[in-house]
Amino acid sequence: MANNTVTLTALFQEDVRAAQAVRDITSPSWRVERVCGPVPSEAIHQALRGKKTPVGWFTLIGGLLGLVTGYGFASFTSLRWELIVSGKPVVALVPFLIVGFELAVLFAVLGTVIGLILHTRLPAYGDEEDNPVECTADRFGLVVQCPAAELGELQAFLEERGAWVRRQ
Amino acid sequence: MATDNTTPLSFAEVDQTVTRTLEPAGRLYWSVVVALLLGMGFGLVCWIYQILVGIGAGGQNNPVHWGTYLVNFVFWVGIAHSGTLISAILHLLRAPWRNPVARAAETMTVFAICTAGLFPLIHLGRVWMAFFMIPVPNQRTLWPNFQSPLIFDLVAISTYLIVSVLFWYTGMLPDLAAIRDRASGAKKRIFRALSLGWTGRYQQWAHYARSYLLFAALATPLVISVHSVVSWDFALGVIPGWHTTIFAPYFVAGAIHSGLAMVLTLIIPLRAIFGYQRIITMGVLEKVAQTIIFTGLIMGYSYATEHFIAWYSQSSVEMEQMAFRMFGDMAPQFWIMIVFNSLVPLLFFFRRFRRSLFWLFALSILINIGMWFERYVIIIGGVAHDFLPHAFGGYAPTFIEYGIMLGTFCLFFFLFILFVKHMPSVSMTEMKEKISEDQAHGQ
Repeated sequence: MANNTVTLTALFQEDVRAAQAVRDITSPSWRVERVCGPVPSEAIHQALRGKKTPVGWFTLIGGLLGLVTGYGFASFTSLRWELIVSGKPVVALVPFLIVGFELAVLFAVLGTVIGLILHTRLPAYGDEEDNPVECTADRFGLVVQCPAAELGELQAFLEERGAWVRRQ
Repeated sequence: MATDNTTPLSFAEVDQTVTRTLEPAGRLYWSVVVALLLGMGFGLVCWIYQILVGIGAGGQNNPVHWGTYLVNFVFWVGIAHSGTLISAILHLLRAPWRNPVARAAETMTVFAICTAGLFPLIHLGRVWMAFFMIPVPNQRTLWPNFQSPLIFDLVAISTYLIVSVLFWYTGMLPDLAAIRDRASGAKKRIFRALSLGWTGRYQQWAHYARSYLLFAALATPLVISVHSVVSWDFALGVIPGWHTTIFAPYFVAGAIHSGLAMVLTLIIPLRAIFGYQRIITMGVLEKVAQTIIFTGLIMGYSYATEHFIAWYSQSSVEMEQMAFRMFGDMAPQFWIMIVFNSLVPLLFFFRRFRRSLFWLFALSILINIGMWFERYVIIIGGVAHDFLPHAFGGYAPTFIEYGIMLGTFCLFFFLFILFVKHMPSVSMTEMKEKISEDQAHGQ
């Protein structure tokens, strides 16, 4: 946005009010920079028209990879020395299920962590400096940009919806 | 700040209560820390002595080669389980009473696994050979046997430790950010580093909430599998009293039983010391006690089934083993196990016991003792009295074993009290979610 823009921080006590404000901001010259809060909120997620997170795919791929790795590794190491142990076949699929299952869970969790890190873009040191500190405590915050000429209008708009507003 | 019991909790009150616990500690706290450090030091000296003179410094000998080291291993793995039950399974079941105690339970899980993980190393004797268990390429081209329950155990416990730590840390991120924004100086820098720049933007929350749910969904079968695998260390051995199919569910229920009791043992003092009465309410403690009734009934049923199957199969060695437990050298430990694990929890049927902090705390300790003895009866009883009468033998832990046991108990409590004084010991975010839900439902 051009230099003659200003940024306002609006703090709401309830997530539904913040969500309503997000929905009501229809002016093309007003831009919602960020919406943050201390707890997840379905109302705000819907107001932002948030997409379904793809983290689950990372979990699935991790899990499948872990299962194959567990079975593959146990089979490979058993085939290095083809000794019959406890009367079981060298590649004993039933006991190897334990290793396959445990590695499936481990890799699925690691996949989830990778998915989470990639999508939340963590670590993001410095990002918190632009964030209203109330948003990690007890307020739902909206950071909105608008042309300087519309400052009063935006402030009144946000206050009408129950926000406590300050200029950044 | 409103603190009367009728006022609903607010986000601010949760923040203030938890942040207050992170203020610099007094002399009493540091005295306890030093006492626990001394206990750990004593345990370490005993372990070093054992390494120097050999594993014979412990009381394990023919026929009882698995003594208190394995008893403690199973005990601590068991303790670790209810943390995941509370944080994962109850999260999936949307049980609201889990929120105030979830963090303490998860913390207990992580430190209990760390403590448990020491015992196979201690029991190994030549601890420097531990890397033999790890599947790494080596010049002998030898690999661990992946059909062995001991290797199952290594894989399962390592997985459980990694998953629990990730679950625990991920769950803490928003709380670490909340403390970061309220701290100053070195504390702020530490929490800034730990919180990874979390801001609570809704783009973050969307991925976070789904990831947390997936963690919970993955941790649930994991927790059941891990203690099943631990039970197979015994059940896959052809030893009377061990070789039974009931072991997996019996061990899982026992693990949850002991873990819930340990949760009470830890959170009752925590609640009193940190002034968490408005967060960890009597209602929450009552729910834990009610769950203990349930797991206690499962334990009673499992003990009865073991004995019934021994009689019903008419297997002479199994019947002999059960008689040995009830009336032989193992009788005192056996009856402690029966009374403390399956009869004492029944007292929680009475509201008077569930609503009294004294009784909740006292009974939780008795259950912990009972569960330790359960592992003692199972592990020692089986090998001390197996197939051949001329091979029957006894076992008594030595001073060195007691020293190591003391050291590891001190290690667990040391880690726990360090954590609760320096990190948020109640999940602020989950408490706020609960408040938010209660407000939405007009409660």
